[in-house]
Amino acid sequence: MQINPGAKHKLIRDSVRHFAETELAPIAAEIDRNATFPVEVIGKMKDLNYFGLQVPKEFGGAALDSISAAIVVEEISRVCAAIGLCITVHNGVAVYPFLQFATPEQKKHYLPKLASGEFIGAFSLTEANAGSDSASVETTAVKKNKEYVLNGTKIFVTNGGVCDLALIFALTGFDPARPQSSVFIVESNYAGFLRGELEDLCGMRANPVSSLFLEDCCVPEKNMLGKIGEGMKIGLATLDNGRIGIAAQALGIAQGALEAAIKYAKERQQFKKPIASLQTIQNYIADMATEITAARLLLYRACSLKDEGAPFGCEAAMAKLYCSQIASRVTSLAVQIHGGYGYSKEYDVERYFRDAKVTEIYEGTSEIQRLVIARAVLSQLIL
Amino acid sequence: MLNLVVCLKQVPMVTELPWDEKTGTLRRDLAAGMMNSACKHALEAALQIKEKVSANITVITMGPPAAEEVLREALALGADRAILICDKLLAGSDTYATSLVLKAAIKKKCPKFDLILCGAYTADSETAQVGPQLAEELDLPAAAYIEKLEIFGRTLRVRRLVDNFRETLEMEFPALVTVSMENYKPRYTKLVGLENAFCGNEVIVLDAAVLGINASSIENKGSRTKVRKVFLRKAQKENVLLQGTASSVVTELLDKYQIKIGTAIGKSIEEKKLDDEK
Repeated sequence: MQINPGAKHKLIRDSVRHFAETELAPIAAEIDRNATFPVEVIGKMKDLNYFGLQVPKEFGGAALDSISAAIVVEEISRVCAAIGLCITVHNGVAVYPFLQFATPEQKKHYLPKLASGEFIGAFSLTEANAGSDSASVETTAVKKNKEYVLNGTKIFVTNGGVCDLALIFALTGFDPARPQSSVFIVESNYAGFLRGELEDLCGMRANPVSSLFLEDCCVPEKNMLGKIGEGMKIGLATLDNGRIGIAAQALGIAQGALEAAIKYAKERQQFKKPIASLQTIQNYIADMATEITAARLLLYRACSLKDEGAPFGCEAAMAKLYCSQIASRVTSLAVQIHGGYGYSKEYDVERYFRDAKVTEIYEGTSEIQRLVIARAVLSQLIL
Repeated sequence: MLNLVVCLKQVPMVTELPWDEKTGTLRRDLAAGMMNSACKHALEAALQIKEKVSANITVITMGPPAAEEVLREALALGADRAILICDKLLAGSDTYATSLVLKAAIKKKCPKFDLILCGAYTADSETAQVGPQLAEELDLPAAAYIEKLEIFGRTLRVRRLVDNFRETLEMEFPALVTVSMENYKPRYTKLVGLENAFCGNEVIVLDAAVLGINASSIENKGSRTKVRKVFLRKAQKENVLLQGTASSVVTELLDKYQIKIGTAIGKSIEEKKLDDEK
């Protein structure tokens, strides 16, 4: 039985905030500048269950409810979005499909490793010619005896540079009219699994985003996740869940930017008074705070539906669309409030501004979210 | 199995809270609560004991219903049982009254305790009195401000910093210590611990009546201190203008303020000057 969930959520928020402010805040600017993955802090996060947010306790996870898991991602991202990304991608799209689609044997073998962080996970759907059109993957998996031989290239793989395990989407049905894909659990030590150079990105620079190359990579037959041809189904269900994580990440960035803007507006003197006393700045702050609060409620509603076992894809898309949009707006206003200083790397809002943009792009662009939402809304018989 | 009791206090999260001019007490309602830092160190000491020997940790606090938060946090960190003493009758208790209430609760719920651990002092009032007063009321051997403890059977050996030297003391259980913030750096909370703390773990709530405390006993034996006046010390700032040539101004600055500058930059500039002369 859950006692007093509100108190639990507050305590989780306080605890994660304390960790993030102590361990990540001092290095966030530096790891962004140098594009380095903070192995030491990640090690501490492994010990504290950050890699097993919703994994059942029997497999070594924290078994958190979805709002708690969102709060964890929010609070890490409030300080360092790139590490929030590592956590949410690992939990939201690498671990989640195991919880939903893995066989008991696959769960027993992989979940303890994933929950402890011994294995950092990645999700590899995107290819050069398959982005929003996820059905057009060109990576192939050809069965040969008791193995599948994978060939192809995955791009923009979050955690790609450090992952120990990647879920690879590959074609197993080659009829051009009805191509069928399946999902494979590929460990990074399999022969033929190669990593590309790290991407030089605008934001999220401390996350080792890279390409993955599969060159005659032999994967045991038992490593297929779900059934043959279920790639699309697994991919879409996983992305529904991943969107909750990205929404939480975007919300965390927005919250961090708002707090930085408030602090600066109270300190910065112009016209012989703090700029926070100027109505224009107050209007900015009011809009930012209102949008963040609305976004948070939208996000937690999607989380609640998920925990109730109800369909949550539409609400997750709404949360992801809105949280990412307000993250871009709020971080832009935070830079504006900081003036010239906000455009300098001396202040954190410059990093928040760069980090926010991609939340409108990955895990389904805003345009794809609208497509998902419109389909759901238009198909409802009763509004 | 050692029975450990850790006394905790919830304190306001911000350091500079406004005073209520009329009552002379802190406007605690304006800040979120957190576990007092020294109490966290005391809990950490108890958790480290539990890692070495078989032990059971009961955490106990007196406060408003919101103080349950620090108990849940303690459960998340690894405490086994939590007790909240909560009654409006006890509001405004001073350190003496608090120690009497804690004594009553410990006698009722943990009569077979071996060691009581308290934070050396709290961030909000900093009296450092409750621990030693509780030891006095329970007639226990006690050591305040300890920075290290070791257990040999029924003997407790503690080390503490007193003025400029360290002393090592030994005492037999049952005993009480107050823990300084020198060692026992609090651990981070595991997420699974937080989940467990809200999953089947009841907090035992005690009111004054259960502890045999009523309005008249509060009046007779309750708070003996009255806050007569609270005031903010005004910062004494002074602008000093040094005039003259650059070298004379620098010399004057160093002569007059070298100790303050040294403190600010964290090293003595007097020695540096001597080195330069050599």
